[in-house]
Amino acid sequence: MSTETITRGIGRARRGVGNGGAGRPVQFKPSNSNRMPGHRSRSTTLLLFALPSLILLVLLNVYPVGYAGVQSARNGDLLSAGDFVGGQNYLTVLQQPVFWHAALFTLIFTLVGVFGSWAIGLALALLLRTRIPANGLFRVLLLLPWVVPIVVSATAWNWLVATPQSPLPVIANFFGLGNPLFLADPTLAQILVCVYKVWISFPFMMMMMTSALASVDTNVYEASKVDGAGPWQTFRLITLPMISRTTYISWILMTIFCVNDFPTIFLLTGGGPVQSTQTLVVMAYVTVFQNYQTGPGVAIAFLMTLVLVIISVVLYRQIRKVNIE
Amino acid sequence: MTTPDVSLTGRLEVGVNTRARKPMVPGARGKWGRFIGIIVITGIVLIPIVAVVVLSLTPSLGSSATGFTTENYAKAFTETGVLTWLTNSLTVTLATVVVAVVVAAPAGYVLSRGRNRFVSGYSLVLFIVQSLPVVTAVIPLFILFAQFGLVDNLFGVTIVYVGSTLSVATWMMAAYFDSIPITLEEAAWMDGTSVLGSFTRIVLRNSLPGILSTAIFCFLLAWNDYLIASVFLKSDTVKTLPVGLQSFFQQNQANWGLVMTVAVVMMIPPVLIFALLNRYFSVGGIGGSLAGR
Repeated sequence: MSTETITRGIGRARRGVGNGGAGRPVQFKPSNSNRMPGHRSRSTTLLLFALPSLILLVLLNVYPVGYAGVQSARNGDLLSAGDFVGGQNYLTVLQQPVFWHAALFTLIFTLVGVFGSWAIGLALALLLRTRIPANGLFRVLLLLPWVVPIVVSATAWNWLVATPQSPLPVIANFFGLGNPLFLADPTLAQILVCVYKVWISFPFMMMMMTSALASVDTNVYEASKVDGAGPWQTFRLITLPMISRTTYISWILMTIFCVNDFPTIFLLTGGGPVQSTQTLVVMAYVTVFQNYQTGPGVAIAFLMTLVLVIISVVLYRQIRKVNIE
Repeated sequence: MTTPDVSLTGRLEVGVNTRARKPMVPGARGKWGRFIGIIVITGIVLIPIVAVVVLSLTPSLGSSATGFTTENYAKAFTETGVLTWLTNSLTVTLATVVVAVVVAAPAGYVLSRGRNRFVSGYSLVLFIVQSLPVVTAVIPLFILFAQFGLVDNLFGVTIVYVGSTLSVATWMMAAYFDSIPITLEEAAWMDGTSVLGSFTRIVLRNSLPGILSTAIFCFLLAWNDYLIASVFLKSDTVKTLPVGLQSFFQQNQANWGLVMTVAVVMMIPPVLIFALLNRYFSVGGIGGSLAGR
């Protein structure tokens, strides 16, 4: 199963719509619909099928986003709507150095998260493809960081680093690296959060890459061997191009995961020390629910939403294009 | 040396025949080296998870027990709210799974079989919705739900979970329905079956793997969620495991045995599902689940 669903899902995103069954992909002629029982009753049924989901989608997704847009131009709080203040909230937010720092860290966090987990996931997928005793077992065990709830693994990582007596600082001390306090030093905390994110995400990449590698025609490798290509050349000129589509899709998904990621950072560092590990999502949450500045908080969230809508529309088009080529 | 890619293309067309199925394998010589390598890597990767289990079995300070003990478990179930949190988590999660699958399945069918402007717009909206940050939706929903007494209420949280799983769940169901040939249904329509009839008797009946993957995805999202629960659930009696564990951890930083015991309780259901159903464990689904968080 694993990546099939997503590949198919992306497939349909590319096509734009459903294809009416894999048996007959895109040639779904209008005349076909006449074969369905009574054209009108069919449309009614389909509409009724979609109705519950449409209502919930509007109520729980579209309406809140619209409301957030309105609320970001008001000075209300969680209980009252407040008065219209125009772009005041946006101005406040954009003038804060903390906001730009959060934006920058979101970028770093995302880049490290995407490419770090991809590199490790790909390396492990390549390693597990070779003949190793019990490699099925390792494949399952290595997925655990992805399966275990983030609340649980964040607690475990906390135990690893939180105090000077925790295992990691003790080990560092043993090797003469002083006694680093990962949660108190801004730079160390940033590195820690990024490493933690890669730890959580690499199994996802490993699964994606394993399924991509499985579909590579093995004869090509034989051929390249005959032609005297080295391992690095084989990898760069054969393996990489052949898994490029899945790679691209997994980058897109992981980018969305990283930008929107809240618990990974919040549960490990809470955004601290001194806001050094705050991403935009964490900052929006903290601003609204801890500092009770609803207006500016919603403004941050809405800015992010706008950017993400633009990005996802572009990516949606891009995914469709990749397929056509 | 010639440029490898050109000669490769040539080879490809000729179609070199070979029986080797795992061509990158440099024979048995490196096998044990790689074996040891992967053991070391897996060992390092799993340290945090093993630590959780080991600490939950380690006697806490001031305890007379030596070696491994289950006294933390006895203590956790009598002295903490873990039983309440577990019940709440199970209730909310199962309700989310049922509602989301029931709503997403017919919607996924429309997405899979329909083909017009409306459907392609719907598909685009779903793609956008699943890439938006949950924080944006949570704030307005909190304000809205406060008016109806749905804050600090398990029912309210369930509704939010349904909303946040729905787009990916629909997408997953549609992707699965795509794999069921429409010819089966066409035959049934010829015999006078309605669309509803063909949907329930032909499509749904053959979609157990798809339904299971969707259900697993919804289960994990609701089970693991921290953000929504932390905003909506404040009283101890309605807390789910993630917020329960987090607040318990903040109050008992030093008592690692008890904290990790609660963590193990929380970790068991997803790991169990993974162990039993990993065939249906869809990357896309879980992927989508994190997309929102």
